[in-house]
Amino acid sequence: MMILDRIGTYFQMVFHLAADPFNILILFSSVLMGIIFGAMPGLTSTLGVALLTALTYGMDTPTAMLCLLSIYVGGTYGGSYASILINIPGTAASAATALDGYPLACKGEGGRAIGLTTTASAIGTIISMLFLVSISPLISFFALQFTSFEFFLLAFFGILISGTLTSPDLVIKGWIAGFLGLFLACVGRDQLQFFPRYTFGIPELDSGVEVVPVLIGAFGIPQIIQVLKDRFQIGETQKFQRILPEFGTIIRNIPRIIRSALIGVGIGSVPGIGEDIAAWVSYGTAKNTSKHPERFGKGEITAVLSTEVANNACVGGAMIPLLNLGIPGSPPAAMLLGALMLHGVTPGPMITFEHPTFIMEVAAILLLASLSMWVVGMLLAKQVVKVLRIPVQLFMPIIGILCIIGSYSLGINIWNLYLMLPVGIISYFLIEMGYPIAPLVIGVILGPMADENLRRALMVSQGSFLPIFTRPVSLILFLVIVWTVVSQFPTYRNFKNKLMDKVFRRKSCEVDVDIDGPEEG
Amino acid sequence: MLEKEKLRKADVYSGIVIFLFGAWVAWQASKMPMKDSWGGVQNVWFVSPALFPLFVGAMIMLLGLLLVRTALKAIGFKAFGDTLQWLFSRDLLQFLNTVSVLRFYAIAVLFLSLVYLYIPRIDFFLSAVLFLSVFITMFYFDEAELLKKLFFFYLAGTVFFIIYFAGRLDGLLDPVLPFAKDILALGFILAYCLYAWKLIRCNPLLRKKFRTGLIVAVAAPLVVGLFFKYFLLVPMPAEGMVVALLDAIWYFEF
Repeated sequence: MMILDRIGTYFQMVFHLAADPFNILILFSSVLMGIIFGAMPGLTSTLGVALLTALTYGMDTPTAMLCLLSIYVGGTYGGSYASILINIPGTAASAATALDGYPLACKGEGGRAIGLTTTASAIGTIISMLFLVSISPLISFFALQFTSFEFFLLAFFGILISGTLTSPDLVIKGWIAGFLGLFLACVGRDQLQFFPRYTFGIPELDSGVEVVPVLIGAFGIPQIIQVLKDRFQIGETQKFQRILPEFGTIIRNIPRIIRSALIGVGIGSVPGIGEDIAAWVSYGTAKNTSKHPERFGKGEITAVLSTEVANNACVGGAMIPLLNLGIPGSPPAAMLLGALMLHGVTPGPMITFEHPTFIMEVAAILLLASLSMWVVGMLLAKQVVKVLRIPVQLFMPIIGILCIIGSYSLGINIWNLYLMLPVGIISYFLIEMGYPIAPLVIGVILGPMADENLRRALMVSQGSFLPIFTRPVSLILFLVIVWTVVSQFPTYRNFKNKLMDKVFRRKSCEVDVDIDGPEEG
Repeated sequence: MLEKEKLRKADVYSGIVIFLFGAWVAWQASKMPMKDSWGGVQNVWFVSPALFPLFVGAMIMLLGLLLVRTALKAIGFKAFGDTLQWLFSRDLLQFLNTVSVLRFYAIAVLFLSLVYLYIPRIDFFLSAVLFLSVFITMFYFDEAELLKKLFFFYLAGTVFFIIYFAGRLDGLLDPVLPFAKDILALGFILAYCLYAWKLIRCNPLLRKKFRTGLIVAVAAPLVVGLFFKYFLLVPMPAEGMVVALLDAIWYFEF
């Protein structure tokens, strides 16, 4: 009965949202904007969400979410245009799509590839939405049993795992980025005693570091500097004919779609890692399980399908920890968290009590966004790819102005600009030296949660760390954290390899004995 | 991202900087109340505001050290010595004079001057038009020599404005001439455009790029600014000559 109620509420939400022409206008324009952001190399869906957050300040929460989630969904899909047509991924999420999408376009099958990515992306988003709706109550139920120790460990785990998985170079760098983010979160008056930390008597720093300007700076400014400094050029666009939805191919590949969607949802729900990793893992799995792995990289249609389903399934996956635990599953989700806080919604286990229909609303928006993305993709792809002809030197400076006005307009505070720019320039240097930026951002967001919960937990236990070992969830989280750290050290890996060698040698010896035994007998 | 070997060399330095930064974080945290009273409340270590920053500082220090160790293990002390030598050699000056680095300077100076100099003092629309016209033309022409000349012209103008504001000349000029700094900024935009035109007038392709760039530089702030100012009702950081004119048109203040 409860399930039927939930389904009823869900469809009520969908119809309620779709019945308002203003919402439809926002939905289609945001999806289109997201696709343009995703399609243009140098712009990302994270940046799109970051810049548009400022515009949603005056909107009510559902409309703002409609706008931002549509940009996120559109941006994740839009990256495939540049990947397929010019062999330059519009976003990191679509880098894997370029491997087989571009060869398809060279064979004159660009329209087919875009049609397939459009349908696959819509299906990926819808499947992830189903997971969001079905898993959320379960996670929320467990999260309600969490105490401060669990929340501290969870925040800490989020930063560590994000640092471990997003680091393009040494894992230590990912962790350093995470701790730098935690430091930024320490700035301002502390939540328990209101003691000013690292404020140096500057009153503007008393309220702490604003998340949105940090996000805009960390993602926007390095992007502008990189693209213009390295003289990034957009190549010639491949021609394509009619775009077809490719339903036949979709039906033939249902198992692949489900597997890729599961990968996308799973990776999306891991804190801080996003669509790009989901797409690569899905690509690798598709290749390993294919009967014709030799076709991969030469225009294999199932490769394009797998990557696009996975990266869009990540959207819903990233919403699961964001809404239920307050931990963003991907960089754009981190931006969404900032936007939600601006609108007075604090994601976490209490969300089901404070805003009982919120998760349903997000799921309804994801469904509408994926449908409108499909419609826009099918009808306007030919027009949208024209934006690929705009030189980066023309649009990147405009993005700079948008970063500035976007940071300023949140709180109408010029101090946000003074903060955004140094964060952006430092982020650029960090990126150049192989430090990932996602953990830094996750650190800024999860810092207050970690700080507050650590002290609250110790206050309850009167300074004892023992509850970590006596509470099952805490213990599991603690062990996972220890394993995450220890597994990165060569000593551990050597030990593990030696152990595996010993075990397997012994086993193989036993097998040999078993095989040889009867013969001798 | 840098190449692997260069990256390891850079890691030694970044590791040291990070270690020192971590030490500073921890040192600042050690000044926070740990067991003493704050706001009439006697502290205990586990509720102290210093607890978390101390942990963060210690971790940053530790990770910085680990990074230095890993990097030194990979490249050896000799390579580290070579890098140190390079830092004090002429090669560094040569590196700092490369086009790629100049492009970085140009972007950094443009952003820094916009955020810290123009936006807080000069009308938003004029600041944005100045920023965009310089930014677009510098990079859209895509010629190192032109970039250099245009950058130094912009730098000279920016230095003039720094002197103008630091010397409090605006306080002298403003009572005599309304919107004096905006008029100066407008003059700077026009001077820059004339200079750029002089440099490229013989090249039809660059002339076309110049026209396109200027159209974008004027249209974009108008669209963005009008949207924020009149639809989202966000007051601009500095409202001067152009905002006054737009207000007059928007609210029929004739």
